[in-house]
Amino acid sequence: MSSNLLAITGIGSVSPYGSLAGLIPQSMVEPEPITAWPTVGLRRAFLVKPFRPASVVPGLKTRRLDRLSAWALVASSLAIQDSGIDLPQVDRSRIAVVFGTGFGCAELTEAFYQSALVNGWSGTDPSPFPEGLANSPASHVALWHGLRGPNITVGSRGVAGESALIQAASLLRHGQADLAIVLAGDTLTRAIYEWYEAAGYLAPACYNPEPLLEGGDIVPGGFIPSEGVVALVLEAAHRREARAYAHFTSGRWASGGQPVEPIRQMLGGSVPSLVICAGSGSLCANGSTTALAHELSGPNAASVPPRIAPPNAVAAGLADTSALLHLILALSSRPGAGQALLLGTSGDRRFAAISLELP
Amino acid sequence: MIDPRKTIVVTGVGIVSPYGIGTECLQAGMLAGKCCLSPTKDLYPGFEGSTAHVRSVPLAAHDDTRRYSRSDQLAMMAARDAVRDFDRGSAAFRESGVMMASTVAGLSEIDPAIAQDPAAWYRKDDGLLRAASYPAAHVADAVGDDFGIGGPRCAISAACASSAMAIALAANLLLDGAAPMMLAGGSDALCPFTLSGFNSLQALDRDPCRPFDKNRKGLNLGEGAAVFVLETLDRAVARNANVLAVLRGWAMTNDAFHSTAPHEQGSGLAECMRLAMELAEVSRDEVGYVNAHGTGTPLNDIAETHAYETAFRSRSRPIPVSSTKSYFGHCLGAAGALEAAITIMAVRCGALLPTLRLTDPIESASVNWLRGEVQREKLPLAMSVSAGFGGSNTALIFSDNGLGDNRFASNGFGSSRP
Repeated sequence: MSSNLLAITGIGSVSPYGSLAGLIPQSMVEPEPITAWPTVGLRRAFLVKPFRPASVVPGLKTRRLDRLSAWALVASSLAIQDSGIDLPQVDRSRIAVVFGTGFGCAELTEAFYQSALVNGWSGTDPSPFPEGLANSPASHVALWHGLRGPNITVGSRGVAGESALIQAASLLRHGQADLAIVLAGDTLTRAIYEWYEAAGYLAPACYNPEPLLEGGDIVPGGFIPSEGVVALVLEAAHRREARAYAHFTSGRWASGGQPVEPIRQMLGGSVPSLVICAGSGSLCANGSTTALAHELSGPNAASVPPRIAPPNAVAAGLADTSALLHLILALSSRPGAGQALLLGTSGDRRFAAISLELP
Repeated sequence: MIDPRKTIVVTGVGIVSPYGIGTECLQAGMLAGKCCLSPTKDLYPGFEGSTAHVRSVPLAAHDDTRRYSRSDQLAMMAARDAVRDFDRGSAAFRESGVMMASTVAGLSEIDPAIAQDPAAWYRKDDGLLRAASYPAAHVADAVGDDFGIGGPRCAISAACASSAMAIALAANLLLDGAAPMMLAGGSDALCPFTLSGFNSLQALDRDPCRPFDKNRKGLNLGEGAAVFVLETLDRAVARNANVLAVLRGWAMTNDAFHSTAPHEQGSGLAECMRLAMELAEVSRDEVGYVNAHGTGTPLNDIAETHAYETAFRSRSRPIPVSSTKSYFGHCLGAAGALEAAITIMAVRCGALLPTLRLTDPIESASVNWLRGEVQREKLPLAMSVSAGFGGSNTALIFSDNGLGDNRFASNGFGSSRP
């Protein structure tokens, strides 16, 4: 095991599965009818059930925050708790926060527009403005936990979660932090949902109440929007005695060219025993991710083909930020030891691939 | 002894600023002391105050401007300016990555009516297309798609420290071997959303701002974009590139103090500067100039002064500092990269720009507030610092090309290739 190896030692999540520390117990989740805004007929999505953040993390005050910030605070707290780190005992100037998001604090951004609609641009409500900035969730995580290392919010179409994880690993390997809280997530708002609908991305299952396929696999017709935030604790594998869910070995991401050779090169000629497909929600991305996974395990690649974990419908609904939820759902299925590949694609040529060792 | 494989150099800088397109007009305007701030109401009726805007963004006629927000367009123009002398058919260029910052991104294309009925808003006036430019990642994609380049693409959001952070993170990716070349910077357009937001926070000065003055009243907003081309020195030398500067050090920290206010003692920013100097392996005496964040708000400027007092304590002479936001306002997500470009200009020209309208500076024994005339001085190293809402700080240190020869005469941004 390389001394350069990084370990995922803590997991926290706020998702349609609930607010959880560690792995997610295997259970089916059905899309819920949307009631937060008026809809013409039934509209469904995978939703985070309303909860009081202070009931999960005592003392949290989130009334003025975007739900994305509130969820980031809860997920990061659960991940830190799960990792067993005693924060007051560590140098918090050496802890980074890296947050991947597609839309940022869309809820308060919409509230600011609402305020402008009602009061005019000269009479807007000041409170949603700074809280609506995309970096607010990461900033609140730093503020609540007292983390003074690099604080970064990233966006990458289709692969924001992977980008966050790769860049957090880069910070650790360059000695710019000893530990990173890596988060990825988005909220579902009316403007986002209706944009998906107007663009023709919604699956038929968004409009009818029939149950989904068993096993949580992606449903025919594709995309059911979802929401949530996942947090991971990433640190040097030998920094302390701690349980590791997985070891991060390397990552590649690009927006053009053929992905197969660079990924095989990254894997050093070995073939992973598991490929976790982090489809980003759209039909083409889910299809191209699984096609790429099959290509990587083609006849020339291995005598024993890898097991392919197809995109999970709930996670895929997180679009740009689906990767971390896909990862922890795959880990939650107790896949066994071996090399794993977290694989995401977006559009025709964009891909992200992360090589992991599962203990 | 430098390791060319681990030394990050700047081989292109592209600018769109209120002075126009290109580094030359920025340099000429600033050296002449020209202030671009003008009454906001001339452009945005109903808004008081002063702003600096870019007069025209001439995308070619075939460019589908409906697809691109104003922030996208500013970014694309700056990127085209940065690589205007590059071989865009080379393998290295085709595999380049893009790391772009923006706080506004496509917000400039959306109006309040979206809040009433989003579906109806999307149906008219290309609403669906305009809203698609909302995510910050769209700016990076606009730049990447414009050139058809295939490396990693990423948007950075760290409020007003965003584009300085984009440069720092692009340097990390180059050292990781993630791409042979990175286009990194930031772009932000002026728009009612941000004007209204800062107005609601009572952070705007109605008159042209006065950073670090005891009588400062707030900031002015500007717009623009800056894109750097970064690569490792060995690659730059191998292709006989025009090395403009060396990125000697970079660092990022967070105050973890308040969601909008900086730490009162500037401790996070001071630590950031210390870490950047540590990475650059330079002492506090070797830094010849700091291009400050210097917004002109009461809280920022005093905290930043404390940060300089900590970071440059025990220096043999006070650290020369100026805020160039006094020339064309605060360009938010583009500010860090624009100011990094001005810092490189200072190194290459030996020209230390003064803060405009600084008549009664904050008292500090550790700081030499630059004001009045442009100060001419040979400048081996200079630092650019940025900070933002949410407590993020970034410091970048630049030196001349570091090659130890005189091929790269310090004559501003003009080509210095033999």
